[in-house]
Amino acid sequence: MMRGFDSYASIVFFLIGIAFVWESRKISESSYGSNVGPDIFPMGLGAILVLLSIRLFYEAMKAPKGDSDGKTTPDYKRFLMIAGAGALYAYYLEDIGYVIGTFLFLLFCFQTIQRGKLVTSLVVSASFSYGVYYLFVQILEGTLPGFPSWLQ
Amino acid sequence: MEVIQFLADGFASALRWHNLLFALVGVLIGTAVGVLPGIGPMSGVALLIPVTSTMTGGLGPEEAATSAIILLAGVYYGAMYGGSTTSILLNTPGESSSVVTTLDGYQMAKQGRAGAALSISAIGSFVAGIIALIALVLVAEPLSNVAVKFGPAEYFSLMLLGLAAVSGLAGKSMTKALMMTVFGLLLATIGMDNVSGVARFTYGLAVLYSGLEFLTIAVGLFALGEVFKTIIGREYAVGTIARVGRILPTRQDLKDSAGPIARGSLLGFFIGVLPGAGATLASFFSYIMEKKISKNPQKFGTGAIEGVAAPESANNAASGGAMIPLLTLGIPGSGTTAILMGALIMYNVQPGPLLFDEHPEVVWGLIASMFIGNLMLLVLNMPLVKLFAKIIETPPKYLLPIIVAISVFGVYAVQYSTFDLMLLIACGIAGYFLAKNDFPLAPLVLGLVLGPMIENNMRRALTGSDGDFSIFVAKPISAVFLIAAALWLVVPLLLKLRGKKVLINEEG
Repeated sequence: MMRGFDSYASIVFFLIGIAFVWESRKISESSYGSNVGPDIFPMGLGAILVLLSIRLFYEAMKAPKGDSDGKTTPDYKRFLMIAGAGALYAYYLEDIGYVIGTFLFLLFCFQTIQRGKLVTSLVVSASFSYGVYYLFVQILEGTLPGFPSWLQ
Repeated sequence: MEVIQFLADGFASALRWHNLLFALVGVLIGTAVGVLPGIGPMSGVALLIPVTSTMTGGLGPEEAATSAIILLAGVYYGAMYGGSTTSILLNTPGESSSVVTTLDGYQMAKQGRAGAALSISAIGSFVAGIIALIALVLVAEPLSNVAVKFGPAEYFSLMLLGLAAVSGLAGKSMTKALMMTVFGLLLATIGMDNVSGVARFTYGLAVLYSGLEFLTIAVGLFALGEVFKTIIGREYAVGTIARVGRILPTRQDLKDSAGPIARGSLLGFFIGVLPGAGATLASFFSYIMEKKISKNPQKFGTGAIEGVAAPESANNAASGGAMIPLLTLGIPGSGTTAILMGALIMYNVQPGPLLFDEHPEVVWGLIASMFIGNLMLLVLNMPLVKLFAKIIETPPKYLLPIIVAISVFGVYAVQYSTFDLMLLIACGIAGYFLAKNDFPLAPLVLGLVLGPMIENNMRRALTGSDGDFSIFVAKPISAVFLIAAALWLVVPLLLKLRGKKVLINEEG
């Protein structure tokens, strides 16, 4: 698992490096009063990244295949659910508003990590989402997406 | 005696009631951050940047920067105090600089001397904090007077040295650390170029013109990455907490720990000043040193109070020492100071030699507030130790989603954009996988913060020399920095080739 990740990562960073070198050739070289344009820095760094990726790939190939430390099985299911919920929350935050979005997100996560104690979960998520909104918008006069228009 | 005048002005600013409040809030949150497993000083400081920026919204720019940095620095050194609490009571360090404290601290707790261990670490941290601050006051001004004479070539080389030092010591593989540094520097090039105004790698997307926001990336990588790690690793279990017991140390305890505290403070301070070597290494070295010079080294590991006093003083002194390169040279030596630097830049305060001339109120206010903050921590920690022990019991079930929610809130409150929120989640996922596979994250953030400055200085130097790269070795000071940078990378490699184990800095 571990060595596998390193070789994949080296390929990804290799491609990123190539992309930066390639794309910086398109940046216009002209920069008045100087023959050192805005393209040199990213191009040089991209090249270094490419070299380092090759080095890492070589290291990953050379290293013995290590076992993953099988102490606990990784809990990818909960991770995917929470990361997915986080992405949805982030994406729709402006549409559904801060209070509703945060409330739903927290409630979902509390119950995902550990089922039960629904009342506590409800109270904590409601007070956090409304508390932060009230403090920030009413008292500190900051801006957060309010309630959706169809509710007002 | 100019320094005393400046320091007095600093105290005048730090003693204003709202700044006292900011310092208090900072150290309290910092202690909580140190106590809570799962949030380290880096994610704690990153998470609080947006909160402080809204809290300081009503103040003038200079005052806002002062208050914000007072709070954020309070979180930083407060976390160093708090980290020891879990090490001693739970045998799990709250952050990596308290790992060594578990060796003797937990043994002491098992013998019913947890209170003494906690109070000695608070006293040690206090003494160390004050020693580091005095040194900071004495060194900062002269050092920045030297640095002010640096030209762009010297600056470029100095920043390379900073990056090399952090990459050379971070993580298990130097290749990976260097890759992360370069990747951070590359990410920093996205957006409008400062010098020529040309848009780079933006592809017509409006959100990219101002560049990737450092705050979004730092919060994502550290705070969310840590949350995902806890979830995937099922690390929810809270162990049994040792009873605190009698809090005040005995006279014998104080006598035994006076020497270790003094030595740990000095050693920690010098290690902290070095870029790349942070609090973790400092606590480690001071423990080893105490064991070496002790008359009966076999008692270490069985609950020796020296084994708590020395590393806890050292890590606090190191966090004070790390402020020196940040404030005087504008070079952060660690992940947390890189984040502090990012925060200062957000307030249009550029750390570096000119800081003392341009923003004396900010610097001296910060320094004075650190004296006050350390005192607050000492006064608060002794009676409140039992309360902080309670914080450990916060169920992770509620804590983890709330950290995600605070991250989302914080980023949105500063950036107002859905793009940044998506970037935040993506960085969290990337942060987890990178950290799990030994790709250190601190160099990435450091590269991101230093990137624009390195590039500017490089191009200014090259413009002066008509594109001739030899300018960096032709100037003697710059050449010395470059040689030092190369040595920093080459020496560990050579040691490794000869089969020696190289100490690395896990925290960054």
